[in-house]
Amino acid sequence: MGNIKKLNFIVIDDSKLDCFIAEKVITNTGKSGEVRSFVSAEQALETIISAKNTSFPHTIILVDIQMPVMNGFQFIEAFELLGPEVINNYSIFVISSSINENDLKRVDNYVSVKQFLNKPLNSNILGALVDQY
Amino acid sequence: MNNRNKIKVLYIDDEQNNLVGFKATFRFDYNILIAIDTAQAYSHLKSHPDISVILCDQRMPETTGSLFFEEMRERYPDPVRMLITGYSDIESVIDAVNKGHIYRYIKKPWTDADIRSAIEEGNKYYVTTSMLAVKNKELQAAYDELGKFTYSVTHDLRGPLLSVIGAIDLAKTMDELTEIRSLLNMMDDAVKKLDEFIRNTHEYYNLKRGKLIFEKIDFKKMMTDASAIFNIAGRMDNVKFIANVSQNEDFISDENSIKIIMNNLFSNAFKFQKKNAAEKFVSAEISINNGNAEIIVKDNGIGIDESHIEKIFAMFYRATSDEPGSGFGLYNVKDAITRLGGTIKVQSALNEGTTFNVSLPSKVNEP
Repeated sequence: MGNIKKLNFIVIDDSKLDCFIAEKVITNTGKSGEVRSFVSAEQALETIISAKNTSFPHTIILVDIQMPVMNGFQFIEAFELLGPEVINNYSIFVISSSINENDLKRVDNYVSVKQFLNKPLNSNILGALVDQY
Repeated sequence: MNNRNKIKVLYIDDEQNNLVGFKATFRFDYNILIAIDTAQAYSHLKSHPDISVILCDQRMPETTGSLFFEEMRERYPDPVRMLITGYSDIESVIDAVNKGHIYRYIKKPWTDADIRSAIEEGNKYYVTTSMLAVKNKELQAAYDELGKFTYSVTHDLRGPLLSVIGAIDLAKTMDELTEIRSLLNMMDDAVKKLDEFIRNTHEYYNLKRGKLIFEKIDFKKMMTDASAIFNIAGRMDNVKFIANVSQNEDFISDENSIKIIMNNLFSNAFKFQKKNAAEKFVSAEISINNGNAEIIVKDNGIGIDESHIEKIFAMFYRATSDEPGSGFGLYNVKDAITRLGGTIKVQSALNEGTTFNVSLPSKVNEP
């Protein structure tokens, strides 16, 4: 504590623009380490699995809900099966444009999800997020 | 009037003479089924689900008409029920009304006119209620679709808007002009995606509610128009557009629907190309023979994975995140083809390309 602890970020969103915005907002906080973004949740999952036995700073995952092929919920479900030694390295935040109550309720059911964030992502939201760590 | 269009009536009476007499009197006007007991009545109901009117005698050795109606209505609620009785037994009538939900009570001895008017009126009621049931089913389906639609609209309309809001917010903090320009390009894509979604919604609505206008289709002209548009789009991405039309006979169909089908198939073929491939192409082969149009749209793009191919025509289904899409296009294509009485087949191999095979029948010209 007290030291400058950098956080890594993984952004998962099928919109390239939203990935770009997230990357920029994250780097603008000045507190981020590596930031990677994926337009496909499957690729993000593969990356997380292949990083299993390496050591890296705590990583924040920002994941969108509605995506083709593998959506945010499917990603979280697959992620939660990876076991505590993987899961504990990450904190998941859902980021979505959804105002659907079922979506919001469903997010609450996943233990690994820290919080639901509304789009668009901005420096205030992300600043508050980073300050938790 | 042939037998198939006649009102189907079931008459149940324990007296053989009544049955024979009834059938003899009405068989020319109605399709009459007779039953001497309830077992026979049930067997008729089972094999004739389209019986619209049932007349039953109240007094039978094994049961009463009102009890029979009370029981049969559980399994066969649709036919209109009428009780015939020679006894002015008010209790049984009350029972029949309350428990058997009968439509009418006919007093013995009946006249032909009584029966005729009862059957006609009863059938009208039957037709109205069954039409109502069909309409209700349609309404339920439309309502379910609306729910799905609203959910997706909040995402597909709000998504790009929020992206642009986020981007504007970000641009305010930027000083580099090149950086702002690249952001503007991305905003451009987001806004275009929104526009595509709105146009697709409009197409969807037209297909669902719009009237088909059958007229002569000139495929050559249609393809010349399409070539003009897609050649420009193709040149930008280095995709060759090849169109061949062979039409030597009249073809009648709804031009608007065919345009929706072709535009969606073409723009998909252009959209799902391999980024760095050398010989990129989209081809359209159209041939009209014996009142049938075959439209083959082929590309050598990214192809569709086998696990997605079944679902590509479903509403809001998207098989890739590599390219933006509304998940609406192929749904509209399938819908339009179905409305025109045609078929669509798809063949695809990942990284090799996709071929859509559309077959449409020529329609009868509108008077």
